[in-house]
Order: sequence, then C-alpha cells, then structure tokens
Amino acid sequence: MVLREAFDSKIGLLAIVVILLTLPWLLGSFYLYTLSLILVNVIIATGLNLLTGNAGQVSLCSSTFMAIGAYSAMVLNLKFGLTYWLALPLAGLIAAALGFGLGVPALRLRGYYLALATLAFLEIIQIVIQEASTLTGGVRGLLAPRPTFAGFKLNDQSFYYFILVITFLMIYIARNLLNSPLGRAFNAIRNSEAAAQALGISLAQVKVIAFTISAFYAGLAGGLYAPLVGFVDPVEFGLWTSIFHLTMIIVGGLGSLMGSVVGAVVITGLPEWLRGLKEYRDLASGAILLCFLIFMPTGIAGMWGRFHRPLDHISKETEVNGTRS
Amino acid sequence: MLGLNIQLLVAGLSVGSIYALVALGLVMTYKASDVLNFAQGEILTAGAYIALLFSVTLKFPYYQSFFLTIILISGLGILLERVAFRPLIMAPPFTIIIATLAVGQMIKNLIRLIWQSDVHRLSPPFRMAIWKWQDIRVNTQAVWVIACALIITGILAVFFRSSWLGKAMRSVSQNQQGARLMGISVERVFSLTWAISAALGAAAGILIAPLIGVYPDMGLVLVKAFVASIIGGFTSLAGAVVGGLVVGLIETFSGAYISSTFKEFVAFILLIVLLMFRPYGLFGAKQARRV
Repeated sequence: MVLREAFDSKIGLLAIVVILLTLPWLLGSFYLYTLSLILVNVIIATGLNLLTGNAGQVSLCSSTFMAIGAYSAMVLNLKFGLTYWLALPLAGLIAAALGFGLGVPALRLRGYYLALATLAFLEIIQIVIQEASTLTGGVRGLLAPRPTFAGFKLNDQSFYYFILVITFLMIYIARNLLNSPLGRAFNAIRNSEAAAQALGISLAQVKVIAFTISAFYAGLAGGLYAPLVGFVDPVEFGLWTSIFHLTMIIVGGLGSLMGSVVGAVVITGLPEWLRGLKEYRDLASGAILLCFLIFMPTGIAGMWGRFHRPLDHISKETEVNGTRS
Repeated sequence: MLGLNIQLLVAGLSVGSIYALVALGLVMTYKASDVLNFAQGEILTAGAYIALLFSVTLKFPYYQSFFLTIILISGLGILLERVAFRPLIMAPPFTIIIATLAVGQMIKNLIRLIWQSDVHRLSPPFRMAIWKWQDIRVNTQAVWVIACALIITGILAVFFRSSWLGKAMRSVSQNQQGARLMGISVERVFSLTWAISAALGAAAGILIAPLIGVYPDMGLVLVKAFVASIIGGFTSLAGAVVGGLVVGLIETFSGAYISSTFKEFVAFILLIVLLMFRPYGLFGAKQARRV
C-alpha cells in the first residue's frame, strides 16, 4: 500500500505531517472543520477496526461509546468544573470502563447474538441520556464550549492541531499494539477461536481487552467531537452513526490500520464529494456500503493489497468477511 | 380495577401481536437462509406507507389496500433477497448484519425522500373507535389487530403443516443439500420465504399504523421483535408468537404499574438478561457449536 509504505518510510511520513500542518493556512473554516471531523473519525475507525476487524467482534454501539465520551467530557467540564484537559482523558477512561462492563457479558456471545446485545446497550444508553436530563440536557442537548488554555479560548486552528496530535498518537499506539503479542492474539481469535485457545491465548481476556481499548478510542474521539461541533444531543449517537462507523472500516478495509484511516477520510469526506447528489446522498451511501460488501469485501486497502502485496496479506484480510475464503 | 386490567390485557395483546408478526418474519428468513434481517423494521414501515398510498392517495377501500400492499411488499421481499442477500449467502453474520442494515437505511431514506418526515394518519377499518361495556373500554383497532394476527398465524401453521410448499420450506431449513436431492428448488424456496416474511412485515405495518401513526422511524418496533424471537429461541415459529405476546404484555403492564420510563427499558433489559443466561431462548434447545 502506498499509504502504508508512506507511513513506514520516514520521508513519506514527514511529507504527510507537513501537509497536515500547513493545511489550516490554506483552507477556509468550513474545510478546516471537515478536516478536524475526519481526524476524529480516524480515531473512532481505528478503535473500531481493532475490535471488529482484528478481533472479529461485531459491535453496533461504537456511537454509544462516543456519546459516553462526549457527555462525560462535557458534564465533567461544565457541571463539575473540571478542566477540559483532565476531563478528556477521564472521558476516555469512563468509556473504557463501560466497554469493559459490556465486554464481560459479551464473552458468551458471538455473531448475531453479540450484535443484538450491543444494540440493546445502545438503546439503553440512549434512554439513560434522555432521562438524566438534569446532567445531560435530555433530548434538548447540551452546548459544548471550546476549551480554554492559559486563559485563551482555542480557535479552530489550534483545536485542529490538538486533534491532529491526538490522532497521530492513537494511530501510533494502534500500530504498535497490532505488532505486539496482544495484536497478534486479536487476529488469532478472529481466525479461529479454538486454534487460538490451543495456542494458550485466553479468549476471555483478549476479548475484554479488545472491547475496552475500542471503547477508549471511541470515548476519546467523543470527547474531542463535542467541543469541535459545539453541541451534543442523543439523536446524533444513534444506530445510524454506528453504521456510519462500520461503513468507514468496511470501505477502508477490515483488519487493516491503514484501512481505518483511508475509510474515515473517504466516508467522512463523502458527503462533500457527493454534494451534487443533494438529497440522494444518504441513499447513495447505503448503496455504496452494499456494493462494497458484495463486490469488494476487503475494502480499499484489500484491493490495493491485491495489486501490490504478496498473497499472505490478502488471505488474512479476506477471512474476516469469509466470502472468498 | 378489573376493567383497567382487561383494557391493559387487550392493549398488551394487541401490541404483542404486532411484535409476534414481525418476529415471525425474522424467524422465517433466519431458519431458511441464516439471515437475521435488520431491515424487517423498514419493511414494516414500507408496508404502512404503501397502504397509505393506496387508501389515502388513491382512495381504495381498506381491505383492498390491505391486500394490494401485502402483494406489493412480498414482491419487495423477493427483490431484496435476489439482489442483495443471495450474493452474500455464504457470508458470516457480520456481513449480513451490515448488509441488512444498509438495505434498511436505503428504504428509510427513500421513504423520507418521497413522504418527508411528517407523521401521517391511516384510518382504521371500523367507524366505532371505542367499544364500551360497563367500565370496560376496548379499542376496536386493538381487537382487530389481535384477530388478524391470530388468523395469519393460523394460516401459516396450516401452510407449514400440510401444504406441499410448506413441507418443502421446512425441509430446506433442515438440510439444504437433502432438499435439493429431493428435487426441491432451494432458490425458489428462498424467494418464497422472503415473500412471506416481507408480507408478515407489511401486515404488521398496516395493523400498527392506526395505533402509532405512519412515520419513517416506526420500524423501531423491530428491537422488540428481536426480544420476542430470542424468547422463542430464533428457530421456533410458535416460540416467536408466544415471545411477542409476552413482550407486549410485560411492556404494557409495567408501563401502567411501574413507570413509563421503565416501560421503555424493560424490553432491552429482558434482551440482555436472556442473551446472558439463555441465548438459545426459553423454548429453544441448546445447540452444539462446531469448531
């Protein structure tokens, strides 16, 4: 993959960093906002891909962990007077704790049943957010102000740089994780739970860790998302948002870190590129998702890999989807 | 007090009948082709909107629009199976979940494009809305829903027990290869299964419409139908019906006696508890997993 090689080679990485650093001066405020949104979605996609693409656990509630992160950061900041710079990591940790809490009962489930359990979790948290209106503002939502640093309110550009740093950090962590024994264990339990157990991998432990890490990524992204958009309400963290996240990793490529990045860029940018289609946009994105599932189950990363990489890479990625195994 | 309880019983059974019809549709496609259809809620919505088109826009009588809608939506079911789900026949659950969700979102967006997001009214077949006897008041539409669900379930039961096609469908769900060897066209059985499943969804949509209104998000009852099918173990048609009624009753009574917030929670809590302790359902048998 061009991007993977770019990230691996020092010069390519440097070029990407320089481009991302100079873009704020070239772009108008709307495109800067879109770019920041893409970065936030890169974080979510990376975390979700670790859980779903690598560890093979279906989750329909990535948007819920994002909601938990967004609301935790804002409630801690606004209602408990905690500074945003402390509230943000705490939001990630709260989401991770709930991810752990969901991961333990989810151990017994797989496939459809796991999807249904995560769906129930999504609906329950939705109701909780709507009912706990003294803290969360209920269905009316919550205003999310930009954080201040040393007495100054962060403007669009400086907040973009902050998100950029966090995004690179999270990608770096995911990359190292995937090259560690734990990352290999993720891939092992996806390919065959029995074989992984036979190799001494503790299924329960690895699955719960996958849920926890993925929830931490989504929670952190949620904590960044809220002040970026300036407003949170429960509706935008519904099932459709989870499908949107899954679309990113399917289009990008399941089980591939670069797939997460490419997918988040393509799918978040898609509404901009499909602007000509106007009201048919949502319809078109559903059709694109379906076409990818049927015709390109390995996503963009997989297609690229087929031309550029030897076969070992593809077989690993196809087995997630199984259509061509 | 008795009057209230009877009212709650009728209301619970009518909501439960709707859940049962949706759950029946889910279980049918699951048994036949291992597809858990997350788009069944949108098929229900589509049914309600098509009925709206026939009865309000084209001014057809109630029963005519009922049958025309069911025929049209069965066609939609066949189309969906042929275009979207047959290519994914060997795909793992993950792919099928996303594919059905994508199809559901496409249907919902299409509906939004045509009808916008307003709530429409679909009038019930009876002029007298409330039936009174002493202190008991019963909504006639609720009774009509229960009666329809009973009739549809009865027809299905007879169909599966005694008709040749019904037996063919059961054989396909037991063993596809064996069914093929007996000269049964598995593909046609799939088409028929999806047609019946979609028809059940459409019927549920038409029946629920006068109770809750017609709007793009009415397919959310699907989650309750999931709970119903899990109570039935996902493989038993009778279990799905019982499950639907149980969920409807629990919801209605807990809404009246505990709180309306709890009413919203209870189905999901039931779902998680069931998944944790009896994922194969109250009625289903535990299945051995092949490694």
